[in-house]
Amino acid sequence: MRISKGGLLVVLALLAPLLVELRTVLAWVNVELSVLESAAIGLILVVAIFVWAFWPDNGNDGPTSDSSPR
Amino acid sequence: MSNAYIDQFPAEAKVIRAAFYSSFFALALGGVFGIIQTLHRTGYYRFIDSADYYTVLTAHGVFLVISFTIFFLVGIFTWAITTSLDRGVEDLRFTWGWYGLMAVGITLTGVAILAGFTDATDISASVLFTFYAPLQAHPLFYLGLVLFVVGTWFAGVDWFRSWWAWKAENPDERIPLPAFMVLTTMLMWYIATLGVAAAILLFLLPWSLGLIESVNPLLTRTLFWFFGHPVVYFWLMPAYMMWYVLLPKISGGKLFSDPLARVVFVLFLILSVPTGIHHQYLDPGIAEGFKFIAMTNTMFLLLPSLLTAFTVVASMEHGARQRGGEGYLGWLKALPWRDPVFAGMALAGLMFAAAGFSGMINAGMNINYLVHNTFWVVGHFHLTVGTAVALTFMAVTYWFLPQVTGKQLWSRSVALGQVVLWFVGMTFMSNAMHRGGLLGIPRRTAEPQYDGFEFEAAVGSVAELDAQIALGGVLLTLSLVLFFANVVGTALNGRSDDLPDNSYAGTLSGPEDAPQILDNLKLWTAIAVVLVIFAYTFPLLSIIDRGGLFGPELVELPLSTLDLESISALALAVEQSTIATLETTADTATAVIAGVIP
Repeated sequence: MRISKGGLLVVLALLAPLLVELRTVLAWVNVELSVLESAAIGLILVVAIFVWAFWPDNGNDGPTSDSSPR
Repeated sequence: MSNAYIDQFPAEAKVIRAAFYSSFFALALGGVFGIIQTLHRTGYYRFIDSADYYTVLTAHGVFLVISFTIFFLVGIFTWAITTSLDRGVEDLRFTWGWYGLMAVGITLTGVAILAGFTDATDISASVLFTFYAPLQAHPLFYLGLVLFVVGTWFAGVDWFRSWWAWKAENPDERIPLPAFMVLTTMLMWYIATLGVAAAILLFLLPWSLGLIESVNPLLTRTLFWFFGHPVVYFWLMPAYMMWYVLLPKISGGKLFSDPLARVVFVLFLILSVPTGIHHQYLDPGIAEGFKFIAMTNTMFLLLPSLLTAFTVVASMEHGARQRGGEGYLGWLKALPWRDPVFAGMALAGLMFAAAGFSGMINAGMNINYLVHNTFWVVGHFHLTVGTAVALTFMAVTYWFLPQVTGKQLWSRSVALGQVVLWFVGMTFMSNAMHRGGLLGIPRRTAEPQYDGFEFEAAVGSVAELDAQIALGGVLLTLSLVLFFANVVGTALNGRSDDLPDNSYAGTLSGPEDAPQILDNLKLWTAIAVVLVIFAYTFPLLSIIDRGGLFGPELVELPLSTLDLESISALALAVEQSTIATLETTADTATAVIAGVIP
């Protein structure tokens, strides 16, 4: 896994403001999305993030420790 | 045997526990009223009378921004003083005394507000958090607020006594950073609360008791905002303290700069109070020049916030690199995101950045006119006090609760879910509030749906904004349920000996790098007072000169049934008179036209 589970949860949470503002940004360039279309894009992004997170990282997991110095 | 706070200061831990539980009780009440008004306003579920909406709104505001925040911060300030000075309070009875005074005060205020839901008594206080005249509350409301604020004053005296005693024993030592933060915050609070004390004791309380017939509404509003803006920093500075002294430690590193942290708190002491008039840009009785001065002071307040953003992020990066993080942004992955204390504070800080941008819009004199008194402002303060402060307080609860109860946290996973859910819920809610404000949708309104008129959204629709707000409100309520489950679960746990030590972050650049003058609290207080005199003397004199100390004669609100009947009769008379005038004018015009046209 490329990212810790906690990190993945936070990345998914950060998707919320991006999705919410995406409609406004796209409207500037005359692309108007409905709520359903926004939700569909959100779903695609969530799946993409999951695939990225769980895709093997050539054996180099990187710093994914969850332990905190408490 | 652990080395937790309860083991070091068992008596003080009890006081802090009592303050925390009082705070959480207020949070629960405020949360219930929050979801009621969210569903009512958006029209999804209305089970209260719309006239009661304002009682709900008052309860939501007062319980959350007065009781929840301030009870919590007196708890962490007591922790900060005792831990950083490494000594117990000077007199425990005095400590319990100020806690008791605050508890009695907020109970009186709360009773006055909640009594508004029943006709069994004539007590009510549906005056909203801002209690602007001519809205008038029952004297209990004002009396309770006075006792509560006096309680916080005594709390400050308690902490200053600890510092004086410590200083006598350590004359050459620098003030430890957490203690420095508490003392500067309290000095700011003493100056700020003079405004609300004057508004209540000299005007509103005597007026509600019938001792004086009227007040000058602009004067009491201005005195309210003398206190009303700095109170924001009274909530925020404890959250900043957590970001400075706890977040670096939880990140696995040290605070980047102690001197910068001191500069930030000195700037808040100096600049927090002479800014209140920026809440009154649309008040016609205050000259534009005074408003411009308030705007300038407010813009200077961006400096300590930007310094904080730099120092806190630098400290987090240091912690991440200590944990093996590498690269320009790769270090972000090494942060302890699984830890709810860290994740909650980091997400709160992120939301605060967004709040800073919307705050700049509010503070700009010209652009403020676009959003003044709209839903935008509600969106803004749900990001500041509703997230930067509230989410930080909830996140650090997961560290403090084991410290002051001696019990393991019930569930770290639930805690992580709770802080993330709050972030997502507030994203939906505050985004829609901001966007609604840009459309001109008003705040403080039970039913912002009007016959024959529709607000037009640039993107999507108002119905979608309402849905977004309701969804956000529901997620926030769920988040609160998870929070209370954890608090109750922890309280029911058994005593644990395996708790983290009570300590706070070390520093990369310590107090020895800070100029000695930063610790000169008398100097900074004097400068703060001078700035307040500059900012407020002429506006207040001008307001009194124009409207009188006690104002012109006022009609008290809410109006009685008799008054309403009089107004209806008056309106009918005006209507009939207008119709008669129009008919006469029409007859005259017809006659003239008939005479002119052959």
